[in-house]
Amino acid sequence: MSASAFDNIKEGDEFELVHKGFTRTDFVRYAGGGGDFNPIHHDESFAKMSGNETVFGMGMLTAGMLSRVPAKWFGAENVKSFGIRFKSRLWPGDNVTFKGVVNKVYEENGVKHVDMDLSAINQKEELLIQGFATCRPWKS
Amino acid sequence: MLSPPVAKINPPGVPIERGKIHEFACSIYDDNPLYHDLEAAKAAGLPSVVAPPTYTSVQAFFFDPKDAGAILESGLDLDLRFVLHGGQEFYFERPIFAGDVLTAHQGEMRTYEKEGKRGGLMKFAEMESYYTDENDEVVLRVKNILIQTAGVVKK
Repeated sequence: MSASAFDNIKEGDEFELVHKGFTRTDFVRYAGGGGDFNPIHHDESFAKMSGNETVFGMGMLTAGMLSRVPAKWFGAENVKSFGIRFKSRLWPGDNVTFKGVVNKVYEENGVKHVDMDLSAINQKEELLIQGFATCRPWKS
Repeated sequence: MLSPPVAKINPPGVPIERGKIHEFACSIYDDNPLYHDLEAAKAAGLPSVVAPPTYTSVQAFFFDPKDAGAILESGLDLDLRFVLHGGQEFYFERPIFAGDVLTAHQGEMRTYEKEGKRGGLMKFAEMESYYTDENDEVVLRVKNILIQTAGVVKK
């Protein structure tokens, strides 16, 4: 996608990415990539000792995967803001739908801006993350 | 994720690196060429590959775990046993590129309380930080939200 995604965008437009079957390996890969070595995300016995059924994914893994929605839709350099609230946890085996819905299109200083609502929802229709983003074509 | 106040943990001048961006982008399953491919970035008129929106959260972990206690000393008065990462917000003045050298600064901190849906008083702490580049220009503002629950969260 590119800056041209801004051309015909309107309120209510949607963009969706699906990731099926999260694995413990995904959590470990994010531990390396993102630097979160809290054992609750990779050490089964530690997670159980802390009262969890098993290890669960880092919130910032789900957040990072949700950030793909505005970045793929409008261009990685065009994301002006991105925010999230964690609602439920990501477990091994989960299938997650990452979705963006445009809620406002407007101009600021003559530059088109697009506001969107973001969500990450699992196979049980549970909201893992609620978020928002604003995109605008960036020029240096 | 628990990250202590940023200014206490990050050495000044952390380089944003292509290899680390590639690794981070792979770990969030993002094949966007602007994260991985220098030629694609240059063809798009950019100086280098772009860092994904949440990339700077990597830097929150550039600290000695014993410094996590810095939260307690920061005047937020939180009980770390019950603190969860509630959310995070990123506001970009410009994209972050490989080759940037960024320095993190502590911004404002505030706490407030709210009645939780599952009962009990929840305490919120918002910690702001911002990143400057080599020209001392602010490129990114981050708000980190911590929640202290009344007890262990079951869900």
